[in-house]
Amino acid sequence: MKAEKPWVPILFLAPALAFFIFAVLVPMVATAGLSFTNWSGFGEFTFVGFANYVELASDDIFAKSFTNVLLYIFATLILEVLVGLCLAGLISVQKSGSLWFRVALFAPVMLPMVVVAVLWSFIYNPDFGLVNGALTAVGLEDFTRIWLGDPDTALLAISIVSGWVFSGFFMVIFYSALQQVPGELSEAARLDGANEWQIFWSVKIPFIRNAIEVGVLLCVTGAFQGFDLFFVLTNGGPFNATEIPTTLLVRTVFRNADVGYGSAMAVVLTLVILVVGWMFVRIRKWNDQKELRR
Amino acid sequence: MTKEIYLQRRPKIALHQRVPRLLVTLGLSLIALIYAFPLLWMTVSGLKTNQQIFREPFALPETLDFSIWVEAWQVGNIGQYALNSAITTSVTVVVILFAGSAAAFAFSRYQFRGRGALMGLLSLGLLLPLQSYFIAQSTMFNALYITNTRFALIIPYIAMGLPLATYLLTVYLKALPDELFEAARMEGASDFMIYRLIAMPLLKPGLATVGIFSALTSWNEFLLALLYIQDDALKTIPTGLLAFSSRYVTDYGLLFAALTIVTLPMIIIYIAFNKQIVEGLTAGSLK
Repeated sequence: MKAEKPWVPILFLAPALAFFIFAVLVPMVATAGLSFTNWSGFGEFTFVGFANYVELASDDIFAKSFTNVLLYIFATLILEVLVGLCLAGLISVQKSGSLWFRVALFAPVMLPMVVVAVLWSFIYNPDFGLVNGALTAVGLEDFTRIWLGDPDTALLAISIVSGWVFSGFFMVIFYSALQQVPGELSEAARLDGANEWQIFWSVKIPFIRNAIEVGVLLCVTGAFQGFDLFFVLTNGGPFNATEIPTTLLVRTVFRNADVGYGSAMAVVLTLVILVVGWMFVRIRKWNDQKELRR
Repeated sequence: MTKEIYLQRRPKIALHQRVPRLLVTLGLSLIALIYAFPLLWMTVSGLKTNQQIFREPFALPETLDFSIWVEAWQVGNIGQYALNSAITTSVTVVVILFAGSAAAFAFSRYQFRGRGALMGLLSLGLLLPLQSYFIAQSTMFNALYITNTRFALIIPYIAMGLPLATYLLTVYLKALPDELFEAARMEGASDFMIYRLIAMPLLKPGLATVGIFSALTSWNEFLLALLYIQDDALKTIPTGLLAFSSRYVTDYGLLFAALTIVTLPMIIIYIAFNKQIVEGLTAGSLK
């Protein structure tokens, strides 16, 4: 369609672009700029070149925050994506009555993470929490502990909360993908003598590979940006056992007023997320081409 | 033909096939119970006294006294927080729908110089994490005296939601036949009339999807709300609830009741609109 006047399309775009440029683009460029300064949030600042980045390279806590987030990603890939996939497989076998099941599993996704976090801080409460209560009830008092206060268990405890929230989400994504699998495919496999389990792994999973890859990407990039659960449940503690880049960066900038240094962290974190996304796209392209050549 | 045979054969499933089915059903019910248990426990604990919560974490409350919900609502200032969330969310969603559909209309229906570049610019927003810009954003908002006003949340929520909204609505609009728009043009409709009277009504399903996930993200957003709003009268539900929980750290009954009040409406909304919500959330994340 041709516009009446050449500036008409720009007029339609103007509101969206104005918001985006003002609140995302300009601050992004400015954040990158601040990472080369020693600004404290007030008054004067001087450019320090790459000094912040040099300091970051030998910052043990920053390195630890990346190790922690990688552990968290590994745990959530299992607790969110893999569990979600298994649940989707289970309900696709069961054809009727799965609505209530989906309601029970999907409801946590709707809730604000803060509500989830406060609730689970009670569940992990050493005095009256569900976890210790359940362990005591079945005679495993020895295993009770201060789940969020113990450096050995805190990260796992948070990962489990993540799994509780998002496995239902991934289940729904994979379930709708599984429903696209043509019935003839599984029928044919069944006639060849395959059981439900074999059909699921060898017929259905390859068919929904695309959805699974997207799920993995969502889980990984989502985990890098995680903040709410960590902030409310542990805020990086105990002894940095649950420190992730975002909690560290918020504390550096807004508590310690080290804006320049925190901005450098933000730039590194952004680059990592973008590289992960880019690698993912490359791998998919490469796989698709391999498929074509076959 | 094949369908009929399938339907006829169905009741004759042998016992050895029915037993696993039953096991799956039982297993699923057990899993659903485990998932729902934290929320059930929260609801029940909200009706107990502190002593009861400590003494018997699994027991049902001795009396059903819902007045604690009223107390939590008033003491916790939850009405105010909910109102703030409602204002922030509704303004955000309305602006996203209008600005997003207008931009999508321009991208999908016109050829103009810089179209590709501007699309690329906006789709940067699909990739950029919040961490890449919020530090300087907070500095900017401080300097412009936006911090501690409703705009401090509404503006970034709109800016963060627009790229995905525009992208999805562009896909919807591109699927519509060109003839529709050309015919309206022949009838002498202006650009704005075509957008208003043809594109918008046909976009309704897309607008619903975009509206749902925009509403949920802005209702639940926490990090910016924590950084930009210190004034208790302007806090949204996530930050308000956090403030409440640090003020009444040990009044567990009251806190459980507050959590329940915030949670129940969302679950009811989910049950009522589960199809649309699932569609909205999955479309919003699958891009």
